[in-house]
Amino acid sequence: MIEVNHLTKRYGNHCAVEDISFTVADGCIYGLLGPNGAGKSTTMNVLTGYISATEGTVKIDGHDILEEPKQAKSCIGYLPEQPPLYTDMTVREYLLFVAELKGVRKKAARKENVEQAMARTALTDMADRLIRNLSKGYRQRVGIAGALLGDPKLIILDEPTVGLDPAQMIEIRSLIHDLGKTHTVILSSHILSEVQAVCDQVLIIAHGKLVAQGTPEELAGKLAAQGAISATAMGSREAVLAAAGSVPGLANVQLTGEKGNEVSFTAASAAGADLRGALSEALAAAGCPVLSLSNQSISLEDVFLQLTEAAPEAAQATETQETMDTLEAAEAQTAPETVEPATSGEAPETPAAPASEAENKEGE
Amino acid sequence: MCAIFKRETKGYFTSMIGYVLVGAMLGFIGLYFAANNLIYGSPDFATTLNSTVIVLLFVLPALTMRSFADERRNKTDQLLLTSPVSIPGIVLGKYFAQLVVFCVPVAVACLMPLLLNSFGNVSLVSAYSAILAYLLLGGACIAVGTYISALTENQILAYLGTFGLLLVSFLMQGIKSLFTTGNTLALIVFGILLAVVAVIVGLACKSLTVGCGVFCGGAVVLVLVFQLRAAWLLTAFNAILGGLSLFVPFQNFIGGMFDVTGILYYLSVIALFLFLTGQALEKRRWN
Repeated sequence: MIEVNHLTKRYGNHCAVEDISFTVADGCIYGLLGPNGAGKSTTMNVLTGYISATEGTVKIDGHDILEEPKQAKSCIGYLPEQPPLYTDMTVREYLLFVAELKGVRKKAARKENVEQAMARTALTDMADRLIRNLSKGYRQRVGIAGALLGDPKLIILDEPTVGLDPAQMIEIRSLIHDLGKTHTVILSSHILSEVQAVCDQVLIIAHGKLVAQGTPEELAGKLAAQGAISATAMGSREAVLAAAGSVPGLANVQLTGEKGNEVSFTAASAAGADLRGALSEALAAAGCPVLSLSNQSISLEDVFLQLTEAAPEAAQATETQETMDTLEAAEAQTAPETVEPATSGEAPETPAAPASEAENKEGE
Repeated sequence: MCAIFKRETKGYFTSMIGYVLVGAMLGFIGLYFAANNLIYGSPDFATTLNSTVIVLLFVLPALTMRSFADERRNKTDQLLLTSPVSIPGIVLGKYFAQLVVFCVPVAVACLMPLLLNSFGNVSLVSAYSAILAYLLLGGACIAVGTYISALTENQILAYLGTFGLLLVSFLMQGIKSLFTTGNTLALIVFGILLAVVAVIVGLACKSLTVGCGVFCGGAVVLVLVFQLRAAWLLTAFNAILGGLSLFVPFQNFIGGMFDVTGILYYLSVIALFLFLTGQALEKRRWN
């Protein structure tokens, strides 16, 4: 459906998207995941022909977006970051206009198309309201309805659930899920759980580069393979670290704090293995009483955050596995309480993510 | 194109701007019609129209200021540019919608010569050819305004820019009359123009040598012309100023002359500025 080859977009000296290549298969839901400013919107704007790429080519259904714009664009329904609404029109007028713009020639067909789109996005009650008077959530829906008109093969949605309340989010996600049965859908998001819930394939973008790609299960499997233990024990630094290092399966033992003769450290453990017992025994055998011991499993959100934050160093790493190594190093440095410090500073959205994940489960 | 044209036309008449423009134009045309033709009793409708030309300077920029500037500010251009509509289609759709708004007062003005005709002998041909020229003049002003609007996302800037440009064009006849003598002056002005062009070319090619080359080559030609045929410079200079005065060809119609060059002039101005508008939209995509 889409072939993107070595796509690069530069604004002056700033490189918004650098050398991204991927293909999108028919009939799948693709998620473009990345923090704010990662280049998701730029990528989508290039895909839809709103802006032109500095280098590289985009082919939609075999049509180059620059050379055959009309054919390529008629395959696409696009909801940009900010829905492009004429606020002085009513919902129905606007959608009829968009349908005509999309080349639905016959008046009756246009009307039917619009009614269908409104029904799908639950807008029928609002049909004769001025868009100016609608709330953000409804405006978003009008934008989505606009993207559905003309029955395009490919639907591109840029952050479709931003600004919606939880119930609306669930509705929109199930709508996207439905659309995925008949259309190819690409959506962007910075909310991992959302992508996980609806997408068949995930592309993670950070700092303008594609850092990982795969099904959510693959990514989750690869990325969440890490476990970590943080512990505090009494004794000399050398004795404690040596005891911890002697436990089989425990790697990357790092000192995180030393207060009097209390030594805190973290260590990475292999996936699924609970090494707390072994570590406790080893410390006791070395004559170092254990003061605290806890198992931290890294959530997908943390992994995503670290993956996207570590990207400048991981720039060359196109393989997920390579990125994983950098990740390990980065993770070990930022331990023990990876969750709070990493989240609060860089990505204000993440606190909302677990909540939305919960809603998701409800929704399903 | 059709969809955009319909939406835009409707948009002008659901907001105030269409009615205000039609009202203002009709008010002024009616005022001069009443004073000139009805009260004073002149059968010459072209002069009446000529008196209202200055109103175009103020009113038409208000019509064109929002066309592309507003789209860009509200990001609705994203819808148009990602739809299967070509850029010429977008530009023409918007242009014709504005033209339709301007056509409303002109259509009403078409009735006025008929009204006069029922009271006496009026040259309908000269009256209607003046109306046609008036329409084309307005069309040219709208094309200029559309282009300016495509350059900015600020409506006020678009208004002021269009107004300023039309004002300079309006005053150009007077400016031109200041330069009846002085070949040296023409040489200086051409020299400055050449320098500006050279700088632009140099920047566009990112090459100092090309810029300097353009300037040196142009300067040699200019000095040669100045030495051999000094009068050519002044003539060329006046011709350029004449070409910039948008309002002069219309005045040729007042005497009852049907000036084909004037019609062609307006049509080419419209085509040029609509083309430039398309280029401005295209360029924005490339940054």
